[in-house]
Amino acid sequence: MKKNESLFMNLKKSLSFNSKKEFVDFLVRVFFLICTIISASFIFIIIFFIAREGIKPFVTDNDGIGRVNIIRFLMGTTWLEGTVFRSNLYGVGFIIVNTVYITLLALLIAMPVGVLTALFIAKIAPKKLSEILRTTVELLAAIPSIVYGLFGSGVILKIVYDLAKVFGVQSPGGNSVLATVLVLALMILPTITALSEVAIRSVRSDIEKGSLALGATKTQTNFKVVLTSAKSGIFTAAILGTGRALGEATAVYLVAGNARSGPSLGLFQTTSTLTSTMLQGLKETIGIDYDIRFSVGIVLMIIILLTNTILNFVKRRIGKVDVK
Amino acid sequence: MNADVFTIKNLDLHYGTLQALKDININIEKNKVTALIGPSGCGKSTFLRCLNRMNDLIDVCKINGDVLFHENDVYDRNYDVISLRTKVGMVFQKPNPFPMTVYDNIAYGPRCQGVKNKDKLDKIVENSLKKSAIWEEVKDRLKDSAIGLSGGQQQRLCIARAIAMEPEVILMDEPTSALDPIATLKIEQLITDLKKNYTIIIVTHSMQQAARISDNTAFFLTGELIEYDKTDVIFSNPKHTKTEDYITGRFG
Repeated sequence: MKKNESLFMNLKKSLSFNSKKEFVDFLVRVFFLICTIISASFIFIIIFFIAREGIKPFVTDNDGIGRVNIIRFLMGTTWLEGTVFRSNLYGVGFIIVNTVYITLLALLIAMPVGVLTALFIAKIAPKKLSEILRTTVELLAAIPSIVYGLFGSGVILKIVYDLAKVFGVQSPGGNSVLATVLVLALMILPTITALSEVAIRSVRSDIEKGSLALGATKTQTNFKVVLTSAKSGIFTAAILGTGRALGEATAVYLVAGNARSGPSLGLFQTTSTLTSTMLQGLKETIGIDYDIRFSVGIVLMIIILLTNTILNFVKRRIGKVDVK
Repeated sequence: MNADVFTIKNLDLHYGTLQALKDININIEKNKVTALIGPSGCGKSTFLRCLNRMNDLIDVCKINGDVLFHENDVYDRNYDVISLRTKVGMVFQKPNPFPMTVYDNIAYGPRCQGVKNKDKLDKIVENSLKKSAIWEEVKDRLKDSAIGLSGGQQQRLCIARAIAMEPEVILMDEPTSALDPIATLKIEQLITDLKKNYTIIIVTHSMQQAARISDNTAFFLTGELIEYDKTDVIFSNPKHTKTEDYITGRFG
């Protein structure tokens, strides 16, 4: 009781203003607080809404189709359109595998290319050239994903189709794992390059000088000292790249081929990711077909959360040596 | 016979339009500690960086004159700057260990020159750390990050890193200015030990330090070499009034 009283006194004290200035200052702070509450609360609103829709297929009988078994859903290797086949056999197991597999391959391409580009821009290129390149990378990062998607379906699909022919594979219009990986790699490349470049540029120059003074060449210095010193920042670039790759929908949807069973591990097989599955026909579906996409959304959010947690854990481990 | 490691003749250095060194002539004696003193901005660090061509990193830097290392001009078009830097090591003002383990810090230089043999590297690491009087403190922490060492330990590690290359000369650019008095004392003792095997050129702001550890002292002022002599002479009987003014603390 006493505590409450003193709290009240405090409140009263903080609400009694000595001047107009103090009052305005108080109002501004309240305004900031309100803004923060609004933006922070949206994450809960979104999660609540997605979860409410997403659990429907598992708890209702979906207009007579029957409840979806959650284990089967998570482990399943086929995705049957419930309203078409009158079935509740939705499986996203193979789609999870596809998503992780494609993201991994895209990173495998984009990481080395992006980091080496960043090294070139930050350390090797002459000043003028590096400024031009930096702007180019920023522009690439600003291209909307639908444009990458159009480029993918207009150019990359044809290339993959022809490439498949060389290997004696009849690819359905080029829609494939390879096309998806290439489009995603292209999309995350600017993110990885830009962030790695910042990390590389912020390496203390006296460490570099120390290396050069020991008779190391510029290249030895760049690889052995600069990159290792920047590895924590480069890892952050990889984390953000992974996030973008996992969450990208539009462009992926246009080149993946939307396979309904899997997993698709062959490079020329059609595939599907969690995002493309959600996007596929979203506007034309009703009932369970509509609700189940929210379930996929929950799975995607959990996977992104898990990946981020794991990657951040790894980052702390490898970044340990940098800690001051 | 020539006991001079470096012979510098008529050295001029410009940063853009600013002349930082004016007509420097100086000989550096082998197995001696040579101290470079003078007020800030007098060109002593710039001069030091000429000796292992670290000024190459500065685009606007133009150099005229001769810097002879064992009678070869290091600014000759054909001179191999990598081999120069393996023979002329450098220790910087702020300790700058690489963000790697203690072991990897020392092994870095030899590895860059292609030494891969594990036993050989082990030996180099141990010897360098022993010569730098830090072995006892870090022998159980070789696999720990060098960033975790104290400032004084880091600086001795940097000296060990330079020693690992088996250089002839070690350049030191105010190596103790970022350290506390006890760490400074250790580094000074180390320098006195090291001069048996190495030629040391040290830039210092501390006149006491120059007097304590050096054999020869060069006094720089506004880009000129005012006086160069035995340390005893400089501190007891300087020929120049400017030198006398500086060492008695009347300016600078």
